[in-house]
Amino acid sequence: MLLPILMVCLLGSGIAMFRRSPQAFLDGPSEDLPTRLLRWGVGLLSAERAEWGQAMLGELDYIDGRLRRLRFTLDCVIAALLLPPWGRAAAGVWTMIAIAVGSVGLYASVAIRYGLGVGDWVQAAILVVILNGYLLATSALLRRPGIAIPGLLGGLFVILTWLTVYGFTFYGVIGTIPTMWDRLVTVIAVPLLVGAAGALCSRDAAAGRRVARLAAISAGLGLYLYGTLAVAVLGAGGPPEDTGWTVRYIVSDRLGNRLVDLLMTTLVTATVGWAGAAATAWLRGGSPTPTRPGPFISTANPGTGEDV
Amino acid sequence: MQRNRPPSAQAIRILRAMAADPARWRYGYDLATEVHLKSGSLYPILVRLADRGLLETSWEPGVGSRPPRHLYRLTSAGREFAAASTVARVDRTVPHPRSRWSEA
Repeated sequence: MLLPILMVCLLGSGIAMFRRSPQAFLDGPSEDLPTRLLRWGVGLLSAERAEWGQAMLGELDYIDGRLRRLRFTLDCVIAALLLPPWGRAAAGVWTMIAIAVGSVGLYASVAIRYGLGVGDWVQAAILVVILNGYLLATSALLRRPGIAIPGLLGGLFVILTWLTVYGFTFYGVIGTIPTMWDRLVTVIAVPLLVGAAGALCSRDAAAGRRVARLAAISAGLGLYLYGTLAVAVLGAGGPPEDTGWTVRYIVSDRLGNRLVDLLMTTLVTATVGWAGAAATAWLRGGSPTPTRPGPFISTANPGTGEDV
Repeated sequence: MQRNRPPSAQAIRILRAMAADPARWRYGYDLATEVHLKSGSLYPILVRLADRGLLETSWEPGVGSRPPRHLYRLTSAGREFAAASTVARVDRTVPHPRSRWSEA
């Protein structure tokens, strides 16, 4: 089950990259990595800080040496991510940080309580890396105009659908084996609906896809917290009856399953949601090709007013 | 509402470097190299200083296909602030003779 889903997601990502820019996909990028990365980063700045983004991009062009350029870019991207004003996006980011920190805290408390082994602590380190990546992606998505509210609502909708399948119980998270119908609803129908709604609300395919991605990440994080809480509360108890295994093994196995669920829920929801947003935009007759990153970036030369 | 917090040590380093030759326009990367700051720290400080009216900015037109470059210089308020901050910092770091006498 896992491998076909991964293959479909990889294929979907390949198609998305080709659709974004067929020429660039075939010929390779025309700009180097630091320039592309910084162009993406400064696109996250609010409109009133757009000039500073241009300043960073302009400065990068005069820096020689690949390593120096890359270091300058990474620092500037972090600055762009953190630079205020954040507006309503800040509340969303703090919520996500609270969920991520809560999840790691719960994981650590379970690992200490049941005396889990080195492998589980390695898994905790992997979890921290994954969650950091999620938070970075979330903060980038939340700063885009018109993405935060539909994306978070979409994520909440996905979470509620899964919890309905689980019967809103901790036992359900641990022991439920979803039926084909459940899978059809949670894995296909709901993410498609979220992507389609995102594209319809924002009237833009690119924004719809961002809504789908934010919904996927927030749903993944929310369900992970719920699942880890279930393991913390139940430990090795509850169905299914895992006779013959030690308590430590069962708890470790359940924690591992939650991590796999986190990755799979996010990946599948994002991919199917992306397809829903793209299909909706196509059916509505709009261009499915997204605008280039950086809606706030003026291409005009701030000094002369000419295009650069 | 703009909060006027006291400047950080890093901000004072930038102010001092710029106050050394206040008439000169500076590039961001050169300034970062001079005060040994990462660009991720430099730009937020420059933004704050500009917001508080301590820094003025300008654009140097790009040459050929190169993009324009942002330039920075202290305003007169910035120069006064830099001087005051440096004095205040020296005042804080140098132990006051009276306090030493009182300890004796």
